[in-house]
Amino acid sequence: MQLSRVIKPVKLLLIALKTGRVSREKYPLGPPLITDSFRGAISIDPVKCRGCGACVLICPPNALTLRFEGEKAILEYFKGRCIFCGMCADVCPVQAITVTREFELAAVEVEDLKEEIVHVMSKCIMCGRPFETITQLKYVKELKLITEKYMNMCPECRSKRVAKLFAMKPGEIFEIK
Amino acid sequence: MSSGIIKEIEKKVLELEGLIESITKTTIFTEIPKKNIKDFAKWLYESGAFLKTCAGVDERIISSKLALYYIFGLDEKGLDVVVKISGFEREALPSIVDVIPGVEWCELEARDLVGLYILGHEDKPRLVLPQDWPEDAYPLRKDVPHNYRPQINVEKFSEELPREVGLPIGPYHPILHEPEYFELYVEGERVVDVYYRGFHVHRGIEKLGESQRFTYKTIPFLAERICGICGFVHSSCYVLAVEKAAGINVPERAEFIRSILLEIERIHSHLLWLGVVAHILGYDAGFMHMWRIREPVMVLAELLTGSRKTYGINIIGGVRRDIDEVKKLKALKVLRSVREEFKRFIDVFISIPEIVKRTTGTGILPRDIARALSVVGPTARGSGLKRDVRKDYPYFAYKYASFKIPVYTEGDNLARLLVRVDEVFESISIIEQLLDMLPKGPIAVESYEIPRLKKAVAAVEAPRGEDVHFIITGLDRPYRWKVRAPTYQNIPALRVMLKDAPLADAFLTIVSIDPCFSCTDRVLMVCDVKSNSKRFMSLFEGRKYAVK
Repeated sequence: MQLSRVIKPVKLLLIALKTGRVSREKYPLGPPLITDSFRGAISIDPVKCRGCGACVLICPPNALTLRFEGEKAILEYFKGRCIFCGMCADVCPVQAITVTREFELAAVEVEDLKEEIVHVMSKCIMCGRPFETITQLKYVKELKLITEKYMNMCPECRSKRVAKLFAMKPGEIFEIK
Repeated sequence: MSSGIIKEIEKKVLELEGLIESITKTTIFTEIPKKNIKDFAKWLYESGAFLKTCAGVDERIISSKLALYYIFGLDEKGLDVVVKISGFEREALPSIVDVIPGVEWCELEARDLVGLYILGHEDKPRLVLPQDWPEDAYPLRKDVPHNYRPQINVEKFSEELPREVGLPIGPYHPILHEPEYFELYVEGERVVDVYYRGFHVHRGIEKLGESQRFTYKTIPFLAERICGICGFVHSSCYVLAVEKAAGINVPERAEFIRSILLEIERIHSHLLWLGVVAHILGYDAGFMHMWRIREPVMVLAELLTGSRKTYGINIIGGVRRDIDEVKKLKALKVLRSVREEFKRFIDVFISIPEIVKRTTGTGILPRDIARALSVVGPTARGSGLKRDVRKDYPYFAYKYASFKIPVYTEGDNLARLLVRVDEVFESISIIEQLLDMLPKGPIAVESYEIPRLKKAVAAVEAPRGEDVHFIITGLDRPYRWKVRAPTYQNIPALRVMLKDAPLADAFLTIVSIDPCFSCTDRVLMVCDVKSNSKRFMSLFEGRKYAVK
């Protein structure tokens, strides 16, 4: 009894000898220790992206944001906030977002962690206000048969137009400025 | 679930002038006049109910009253009883703390956060909110915005805390969450009293989940970040609560996948705990080997979900990642090798004299106190209480698996250690059974609707015990989301375990309830009652004081 109490802890040596070295050698070299299903940073295909904002709405930590600067709509991906859940890739209607296996994301500047996709906005033919990305409008055109005039108006001008049409006298012609 | 107990509860509620709001498959919702709550709580407690938690709710928009929901669980019957009492804004509500001592914390929390006026707690210091928080700002009320930041009066702060507090080296560890602060009062080597101050990093996650910032779909990812070790438990518990409230039928395959991942989480959590216990007791070789055995489990989790921790695959109505045949075979292979390695190593581990000696007979929690405080998880099972949500309230796919609940009656640190050791083997066996039975079909429902103002209680067995989420649904997001983490229920028991025990054992005892590991590396303040001198030491420094 006494002997086994002394011997048992020593058994760890056998386990250790059998296991051998487990730490990783020469870290940056060799393949990374991640499995195939690992979710890393996302990559956005600027050609496929339409700037619809579905990913922005679903993103739990607000890593994806859409902001408007003049005629541009900018979709910004900030890796510093990303939780790598991949929900954006699930909801993207055009599969522009893919989840990569990239995980070594350290950067010197915060700006290096940001990725921007710039969309040009289409201007309203009535009031001249940019209201929707051109790529999104192209998609709408493919999807539904509507006139270009109507499509190129911003939602406010569209409703104003309807109101004006009601107020028009018989024989009057509706003009676009 | 027997209908006999429902009839009994109905009878008792009507006798106490209360009313039954609704009865679902697993829960009875009742409302009791506040004057009779003590009688009802006492009756429930005597008929074997455990207190789960209580939740203060600002219902002024609905009924112009503030409400307090007590949630009881009849473990033997698998039935939750939700009892509501309510009152106007400054109306006094009775406390049931003299009937059930374990209720103190959540009543204090309701007082702090919702501003309920609960009799019997007037003189007690604040539990959740800091001392310098404004008097009349109650964060969980609906008229307080989620990003409310009050002006802090620093002078007042220093006035109210005359004690010398070691904050600079203190509990605010930069990468860990949920810091706790213990003050041990000692007489020589013996602990005579314990002072605890927690909630240093109360993040207001419940409030955030109720705010415009989040929706039903994104909250699972927020819930997953409540805990660093058992995050999947919280997201599972949240989706379970919402699915119960909305009556969503989750595909069987999704339930199996959730159960499998919950068990994987339990294995890695217990292995981590055993490793850290070895580290605290100065057996670093054990720590290294335990974590080496744990590593394949983490990689397996990554293979099945895409992430080592915070799996992020829970959505309402199912899961996002499937387990295919290749992954299944790989998982079985990993589990087989983990079981073998763990078996071989744990045999050595529990024969190490310093581990056996330091854990035997220390940090004793008697069964009756464990019952009164309604402790959960391995802490309860180590004190002879046979409580396990997986068996008592079968959820997900646990009804299909056969497993034992390890129970030890000693109530000391060794008992809690052995419970966890046994649970690792049980968990491996559960995963193997579930993988074997994995049914075919979809992994998520295609669409669902969540009605408003439905209530639900969900409980999931976390590695540390029972995790409870209570939900009142609202438009696009919960109206009220109450989370009760297992450690919340277990920390009050530490006072009993630490008292009249040698100081050297205190470090181990605090760890023995597995207080979310990130909380274990804390600063303890050691005050000698006789000489009245104070100094700080870190948890791991306590090893020096180990009895050789």
